[in-house]
Amino acid sequence: MSEIIERTEKKEVEISIKELGMTFQDNQGNDVRALTDVNLDIYKGEFISLLGPSGCGKTTLLRMIADLLEPADGEVRIGGRTPREVRLEQKFGIVFQNAVLFYWRTVQKNIELPLEVMKFSKEECKARSCEMLEMVGLTNFAKSYPNQLSGGMQQRVNIARAFSIHPEILLMDEPFSSLDEFTKEKLHEDLLRIWKQTNKTVIFVTHNIAEAVFLSDRVCVFSPHPGRLSAVVEVDLPRPRTIEMKETPEFNELVKKVRGSFEGGSV
Amino acid sequence: MKKLRNAKWLPMLVWIGGMIALWEVGALVVASTKRTPENVLPHLYQIIAAIFDNKPVNGGQTAIMVVLGSAGKTILRAFYGFAAGTILGFMLALIMKLSRIAEKLIFPYLMLVQMIPILGMAPIILSITGDINKSRIVIAAILTFYPVATNTLAGFNAVEHEKHELMHSYAASKFTVYTKVLIPYSVPYFFTGLKISAPMAITASILVDTLQGDGGLGSMLSQSLKHGMSIYVFWLIVFFSAFIGIFSSKLMGMIEKLFSPQKRKKRGNGV
Repeated sequence: MSEIIERTEKKEVEISIKELGMTFQDNQGNDVRALTDVNLDIYKGEFISLLGPSGCGKTTLLRMIADLLEPADGEVRIGGRTPREVRLEQKFGIVFQNAVLFYWRTVQKNIELPLEVMKFSKEECKARSCEMLEMVGLTNFAKSYPNQLSGGMQQRVNIARAFSIHPEILLMDEPFSSLDEFTKEKLHEDLLRIWKQTNKTVIFVTHNIAEAVFLSDRVCVFSPHPGRLSAVVEVDLPRPRTIEMKETPEFNELVKKVRGSFEGGSV
Repeated sequence: MKKLRNAKWLPMLVWIGGMIALWEVGALVVASTKRTPENVLPHLYQIIAAIFDNKPVNGGQTAIMVVLGSAGKTILRAFYGFAAGTILGFMLALIMKLSRIAEKLIFPYLMLVQMIPILGMAPIILSITGDINKSRIVIAAILTFYPVATNTLAGFNAVEHEKHELMHSYAASKFTVYTKVLIPYSVPYFFTGLKISAPMAITASILVDTLQGDGGLGSMLSQSLKHGMSIYVFWLIVFFSAFIGIFSSKLMGMIEKLFSPQKRKKRGNGV
């Protein structure tokens, strides 16, 4: 319990999001409001989930934080800097739903790619990639090629690559949604372990309620039409989290609470 | 029985057997009509025997020396043109990828060059360059660059959006994106282009050979008919040309394997 209190006590805002909104144009050229008026503070070292059905703007929000998308209105500040500045400082680690591996590179070389881009020395690249391989349990597959790996293993490489650059902020866009339930549960535990070791701020996009509750300190619930942040639910389950916790009444209570905070009914 | 049905070599064997049978029937029919002193469609064993025949057929050379000697010339010229076309094609693909305006300007008209019949183009190129060797290389290059350019460009464009976003998130420079992602990614596409264009370069070289008689498979081909060198030489050249055409394409596949280590390893079962 002391750990939770510690976490809640020294809350330092890392990302501040103010009146953020996004508008897209559809095929007919009409404006579609993807996300409207989001206000949110994300704390340093926090594991926060953006949860919602498709079309609620959760990925849009992630992409605006990552500087992959320019907001239509409002602003995002990360420790006082714009997302663009943070990106140019190479402080983002991004994990997409697809593993996005480079087929001509071995597992180890895939993990080293961002380090090469960032002009790390050969020794540093190797040292870090070895450390990351160890962390995700793929040391024996260092010399394998991506097409020799299962989906779960590919996703582990993806995660290892994101952590290899020691990012300030890890942005994960539905990283486990294409994996089977067993692999997913294993990777949940792995991710929490790595997160605990490295203490990064993690923003995790998902449409899976139980996954969001299990992993997060806070769950941000998004509702569609128009996409908006409709509730933020604190998850006060103790850490480290274990699979068994999913059977507890507290866990189910939280799942129920999160589900209840969706607006827009029939989704 | 099931094993037999799955065997890859079986269809090939059937084809080869069928072709040989058809050829031999044809040879028999042509022999029975017999309008020329020599059988224009000789039996296969006669052609094969010609390979080992020591009798000089042209200026003291045996049949096989004629074929190999002229093949060497043809292949060398095809290779120069092929190399030039490959470099040109790759550069064009790069330019079209780098600049949307260049793509709009070049891409639709690339195909036009391809649509001009090579037989019509050859004399024009010859009169422009004034040199048969140069025009051979130019024509081989023209035929080569198009498949290389379009396939390589397709490879550049096939890179998933997420890979670009990932590189964007690393704040990678354009140069890095090209050298670390686009170019390695397009390697199989590039080789697809090479596999198509290698036999075309050889065909072009042979075709241009026929325009002027200074050696090469094409000129030997027409000479062997005109000067009654021997019908076997003619057929040897035909077969050998077909062989180097097919082989040139296979060779590109082998070189590709050399460059792509992930293709050499078998797919394993991960956990």
